[in-house]
Amino acid sequence: MSRFLDPAVLAAISGLDLVAKTVVDGFVAGLHRSADLGFSQEFAEYRAYTPGDDLRHVDWNVFARAERMYLKRYRGETNSLLTLLLDASNSMNFNSHAVAKMSYARYLAAAMFYLAIRKQRDAAGLLVFDDEVRDYIRPSTRQGQLQRLFAGLEGAEPRARTSFDAPMQHLQAFLKRRGIVVIFSDFYAKPDEIIRAIEPLRFHGNEIVLFHILDPREIKPELGSSSVLVDLETDIRLEVNADYVAREYQEKIASHIEALRDGAQRAGMSYQLLITDRPLDGALREYLTIRLQGR
Amino acid sequence: MGFLAPAFLFGALAVGVPLYLHLLRRNTSTPMPFSSLMFFERRPQSAVQRRRLRYWLLLALRLAVLLLLALAFAEPYVSRSIAGIVPEKLMLLVVDDSFSMRAGTRLDEAKRQALAVLDRRRSSDRAQVLALGAQVHLLTQPTQDKRSPREAVESIQPGDSRGSFGTLATVVRSIADSEKVPVEVHLFSDLQRTGMPPSFAEMALPGSVSLQLHDVGGPPAPNWTVESVAAPRQVWDPRTVHIQAVVAGYGTPAAMRTVSFAINGKTVSTQRVNVPASGRATVELDSLDLPYGLSRGSVRIDSADALAADDELLYVIERSDRKRGLFVYQPADTRSALYFGSALTAAAQSSVALDKVTVDRLADTDPTQYSFVVISDVESLPAGFADRLLQYIKRGGSALVALGTVAGQQKQIPLFGGDILSLHNYSRESERFAAVGEASTTYPAAGSPEEWEGVRFFYAATVDERGARVGVRLQDRTPLLLEKAIGEGRVVLFTSGFDNLTNDLPLRPVFVAFVERAVRYLTGGEVESSSRRVDELLQLRTQREAAGVGVEVIDPSGQRGLTLHDSASAQTYPLSRTGFYEVRLANGRHDLVAANPDRRESDLTPMASDVLALWRGGNASEGAVAGAPGPASAAPGAPPPPLSGAAPPPSTLKSSLWWYAISGLLILALAESLIGSGYLGTLRDEP
Repeated sequence: MSRFLDPAVLAAISGLDLVAKTVVDGFVAGLHRSADLGFSQEFAEYRAYTPGDDLRHVDWNVFARAERMYLKRYRGETNSLLTLLLDASNSMNFNSHAVAKMSYARYLAAAMFYLAIRKQRDAAGLLVFDDEVRDYIRPSTRQGQLQRLFAGLEGAEPRARTSFDAPMQHLQAFLKRRGIVVIFSDFYAKPDEIIRAIEPLRFHGNEIVLFHILDPREIKPELGSSSVLVDLETDIRLEVNADYVAREYQEKIASHIEALRDGAQRAGMSYQLLITDRPLDGALREYLTIRLQGR
Repeated sequence: MGFLAPAFLFGALAVGVPLYLHLLRRNTSTPMPFSSLMFFERRPQSAVQRRRLRYWLLLALRLAVLLLLALAFAEPYVSRSIAGIVPEKLMLLVVDDSFSMRAGTRLDEAKRQALAVLDRRRSSDRAQVLALGAQVHLLTQPTQDKRSPREAVESIQPGDSRGSFGTLATVVRSIADSEKVPVEVHLFSDLQRTGMPPSFAEMALPGSVSLQLHDVGGPPAPNWTVESVAAPRQVWDPRTVHIQAVVAGYGTPAAMRTVSFAINGKTVSTQRVNVPASGRATVELDSLDLPYGLSRGSVRIDSADALAADDELLYVIERSDRKRGLFVYQPADTRSALYFGSALTAAAQSSVALDKVTVDRLADTDPTQYSFVVISDVESLPAGFADRLLQYIKRGGSALVALGTVAGQQKQIPLFGGDILSLHNYSRESERFAAVGEASTTYPAAGSPEEWEGVRFFYAATVDERGARVGVRLQDRTPLLLEKAIGEGRVVLFTSGFDNLTNDLPLRPVFVAFVERAVRYLTGGEVESSSRRVDELLQLRTQREAAGVGVEVIDPSGQRGLTLHDSASAQTYPLSRTGFYEVRLANGRHDLVAANPDRRESDLTPMASDVLALWRGGNASEGAVAGAPGPASAAPGAPPPPLSGAAPPPSTLKSSLWWYAISGLLILALAESLIGSGYLGTLRDEP
């Protein structure tokens, strides 16, 4: 089944819903329980009452027998909130093979939406941004949400530059419930600035996952002895030579990735580097792990 | 260092092409989109780095190839001092052994001076000895040997040829072309003016040749000579013979000279004649006691001058019976026989008698009694005579057939064979007549095309010319005079008549010349003139006469002139000496040939000093000629500018570097190919 997780194979499939179904069906074998504990019918455990707890959740039967107040807790199934932030800046349009970074992010986002809504019954929402918020679909489990999300993904064409400040502020204003916030971006900004912009979401109790999507040639570019490069976002041209690319650039990008990973960990975020020529299962596994670790 | 074609150096500008390709083009790359330049820094190749070429070796090779290519086209050379760098030179010692060198002690003096020059020769110099006559004979090869050049000089004997400085210059140019060292020509000669070619440019010598003239002629000496003798080659009546001799003087005062006519060594007449100063006088002899057969004639003067060898002129005269020819014609045609016979009689000193017989009286006529037969516009020949005539021709006889209006009515041509294809009555056509269009100068009976101008032909027959040799054609290419070989004999066909009805040839002066040539040709008497020049070639056999038939030449000294091989195959024999040559030709005929030196050699006037200076490429006032103080050095006059062809003796020698440039070019091109191929492989291997 892993072949259906190959981005090159997925690129040949039209329609994000089919892509998502293919990915998820290929990856997930059957339903699993929601890792998030909620207040549903299936009993999980008792917990001693502490002042401030909602008295509605006190098990009065136990109180009548033992004269102690316990809160009754249940195992919930679909009470998590998934919000995907998709970087639609121009740099996401870069590709050195069949799958551009934007496409890779779309496939992955579609798979996660499908997994969340159809399999986990989580509420899922989408925020498309570049240097501002271009599209926002409020998380929901309503009928037709998955199609709206897919349409949002389809319409997210890369343009403009990346900036995390404005979108994050916007999201803080809209995001009322805690949940899982997944950010797809190539993160071409200073790591501390990225973390500083995203960190407030973490303070609201959200689980933050940074999916750092890079093209293999961004890790190891192939250039001639002397080449002129054009920045997809700024249109700036720069003449670089092969010696620099072979040594200093690769050191810098590695350092950038490492700094971003460290910063994310320090801020309690998850970080995953995704290379667009690799299968999608790494990202899905990361998401489910976080989902299962959730509360 | 210099360049023979410096304009080609502009080709070196082509080095800009690889420079552009390596330096500039490599740096103009197509802009490549990239997601973000956040981690890039501006790192263009610095000025130093630009020049630090990855393919520097390939570039260097390509530049070198182009530079060498331009260099090779520019033909570089280095000028090197002959004395300092080239220790060797080639000395050409040219000793004039022409006829004029027989005067006084000229040849001995020339040999003495040549030996003196040889003695002064440096041991590193090579020497080559040449003898100059009508041709240049290489007596030795270039050698550093001391002995052989001396022996060659000492062996030179006076010759009878005419010296030609033009021929000498041609040979020297050829030697200079093949030699890589300077050539020093020493010419030991009387420097006769008559030895110059018509154009001075033919005497020009290349720049690597220095010419040193050694005049051995001394002061100009007066010289009388028997310039020419006009004597018939064949006579049949010695009482009517007419011999005319011309006595000429060169640089001579007016003087009375005694002229002796001798036959076979016996003086038959002596006359005295006044020869004007530097002029000519004519002596004539009107009767001669001449024996039958070939006789050796000579005309001699008592000149008592320096060049005694030209006081006598030899000639050959032959007394024979008159040859008889048979002229056959129609009884009604009285004009042809009249015109043809009159022309033959009018031909100068003709030795042919013509029997004119009408066709109806031929019954018992034997053609073998005649040297030739003319069939003039005959309707048909009696059968018996026709057979005898055919046999006569097959055995070597010859006949002339004329196709007039009567013979033209027949389908077949008598004797000649073949059909009459058509008849041309030009008088009925718009042009009214036809003229001669072309005449082959190689056909003995044809004469020159100019002779036929003005002759109008009103009638001619077109015949099948296959297998025939055409001597004359009319303007419409109708053959007029043809020849066909039948057996060992020949039949000449004239496609018009000998009367003045079919053409006006009999009324023209050319008719006499034509008849004389035709008869002479038919009788096999294409005799040469009575006197030939030394250096002429004697034809021993014609192209038709097969090789293998022996010929023989006995030279004036009584020696056989041909080897056994040559006697069976030689076409010609050079007349190299004065005297009588006895010849047995391939056709079995014995002949006698008198050879005399070219009388231009008798004019001992030397070349003017300015001409000599011009030839040397030096200054006339310098005393142009080594040796005796002759007129060359004494002649006044402004020095003429040197000819471009006759450059002054060079002090330097241009050594071409072309081969080095080409060799280097090939090596570099090969290296460029190998290294370029290696780089291409490297490029392919790169990720």
